[in-house]
Amino acid sequence: MSLAVDLRARFDADGADPFTVAAEFAVADGETLVILGPSGSGKSLLLESVAGLRDHDGRVAVDGRAVGDAPPEERGFGFVFQDYALFPHLSVRENAAYGTRYHEETRNPEGLLANLGVADLADRSPRTLSGGEKQRVALARALAIRPRAFLLDEPLSALDAPTRAALRTDLADVLADETAVYVTHDRTTARALADRIAVMADGRFRQVGTPEAVFERPATPFVARFTGSNCLVRDALPSVVREALPGGPRVAVRPEHLSITPAEESDAATAEVVRTVREDAVYRVTVAIDGERLDVFTDSPPEGARVALSIPPERCHVLAASDGST
Amino acid sequence: MTTTGRHRIALVLAVLTVQGVAFALAVAAGRPTAYALFMVASAAALAVGADAGLPGIAAAALGSALLVALALPLVLFVTRQDPGLVVEKALDPAVHRMLYLTVYAPLLAALFALLTGVPLAYLLAKGFPGSAVVQSVVDLPLVVPHSVAGIVILFGFGEGGAFPSLSILGTTVGAVLALSFVSAPYAVDSAREAFESLDPRIEWAARVHGSTPLGAFLRVSLPLSARGVLSGGVLAWARAVSEFGAVAVVAYSIRFFYPPAGEVVRSSHAPVFVYQSYLTGSLDESGAVSVLLLAVSVGIFLVIRSLAADGGRVV
Repeated sequence: MSLAVDLRARFDADGADPFTVAAEFAVADGETLVILGPSGSGKSLLLESVAGLRDHDGRVAVDGRAVGDAPPEERGFGFVFQDYALFPHLSVRENAAYGTRYHEETRNPEGLLANLGVADLADRSPRTLSGGEKQRVALARALAIRPRAFLLDEPLSALDAPTRAALRTDLADVLADETAVYVTHDRTTARALADRIAVMADGRFRQVGTPEAVFERPATPFVARFTGSNCLVRDALPSVVREALPGGPRVAVRPEHLSITPAEESDAATAEVVRTVREDAVYRVTVAIDGERLDVFTDSPPEGARVALSIPPERCHVLAASDGST
Repeated sequence: MTTTGRHRIALVLAVLTVQGVAFALAVAAGRPTAYALFMVASAAALAVGADAGLPGIAAAALGSALLVALALPLVLFVTRQDPGLVVEKALDPAVHRMLYLTVYAPLLAALFALLTGVPLAYLLAKGFPGSAVVQSVVDLPLVVPHSVAGIVILFGFGEGGAFPSLSILGTTVGAVLALSFVSAPYAVDSAREAFESLDPRIEWAARVHGSTPLGAFLRVSLPLSARGVLSGGVLAWARAVSEFGAVAVVAYSIRFFYPPAGEVVRSSHAPVFVYQSYLTGSLDESGAVSVLLLAVSVGIFLVIRSLAADGGRVV
């Protein structure tokens, strides 16, 4: 089912400035929209508002039918929380079946637990499960009610890396045919699961587009940095580099598109190696060129303290001057 | 069992034996004060032995002085009772009636406090405009002198009060009202704390997946807070059992239906009964009754401790 949202919500936390979240977006039937943003950007508040768990103004519609004034139990969404929020006094089976009595069209909870590989835990208490197992049960609980749309709030954030990777794969399968809004601060997860990505900061969307568009053609310096691009300020670069770049005061370029080679006397643009960090399959090499730092992904660590840096201009993307949130 | 575990048990047994022998010697010599001094000194000595440092030694000595003040009168009280008289009182039908009333009326008061107080506790945990004022009203009985509470109830609910048809002077209804007045804050506060400690997301999960607010309360919040609610009820019960002032004013002597006799009889709430037998009988007689009452209190206390042993965690 499709989902259309256009809402505003204001939050007054004790001792903090009031915080406003405003967003307008639509999710097509079977599509997964990932809301990507840093902590405190308001993405969880937005998701909880969509679910009806927080007061909000504006419109939430499922297949054109407005549910924005309905209480959470009548909106028909499935929700997966970061910290699982399983019912500790019920068994795994009872947790998975929790919502089925309230809905006419449901899925078999036992079958869902089996599909998610936790059928043998059905009689156990959630207290005895690992984080990954708990999140699978929470997923079954949400799936069982055949939700009109799936709302997921950082479901992988509390898990260790191997568990996260395994569950991410399963999530991709589960969400393939579901209409889903998925909130995360993790760009790897966003890229793996999203049909479209909305980058959020300070309660507003900064860019909405396909993963390819958001990662390769970020609209603003904030989006560029948050999605992992280098953000270059033209005037800070030496002229030999500057001349090679496309026009505009700021350009973004992803670390995987840059390359470094051992520096020779004849090289025009040489950079100083600041730091080299091994990251899974690649090396993240931080280099400085006239004080401007940028990251480069390489297959092998650099040799020597100076390297020649090559920036392919066709991979550079010109950014808007500013987005007001840096 | 580990060697450390065995050592620990041996140490505790040794300390208890030494304390028991010292206590027996002090009582035999007619000098319980000497035992009090011995206990403070031995606690300090143990702290020295455990290498606890100066603060640890001071804490052990001061703490044991408080323990002496709390426990010594109880122990001396029990050891000084005449067993024959205690047995005689334990077989006395009048004492049976009193004990029945003392368990029954506070139980009604605790149930009333739970029935009306748990929903209120839930609202207070959620917070609402003016909840601070309501919380103050709930806690007010904690600071009102209990004899004053009794007078207040007589004025409020007695003749010419809010409910003219309600007869409360010397009735079970009056006793239960008085006991509820002094014990309800315990039930409400314990339940409120239990509700406050719930992760709001657990209730959210219930709501999103189909439960109405009432359904989420009954299927999730209440079961998860059951331990806090229950221990609040038992606390209220215990508080009501030990109440004297309010009930002495409202219902010094109570008419109530006594099932073993199959008829309406008269008796008094236990603390009042003990006071009465102290005034009209002898110290020995009231002491013997007090032992029985103490046994009831200790029983309730053990129930509370077992309920409090493991707080309701959430996943």
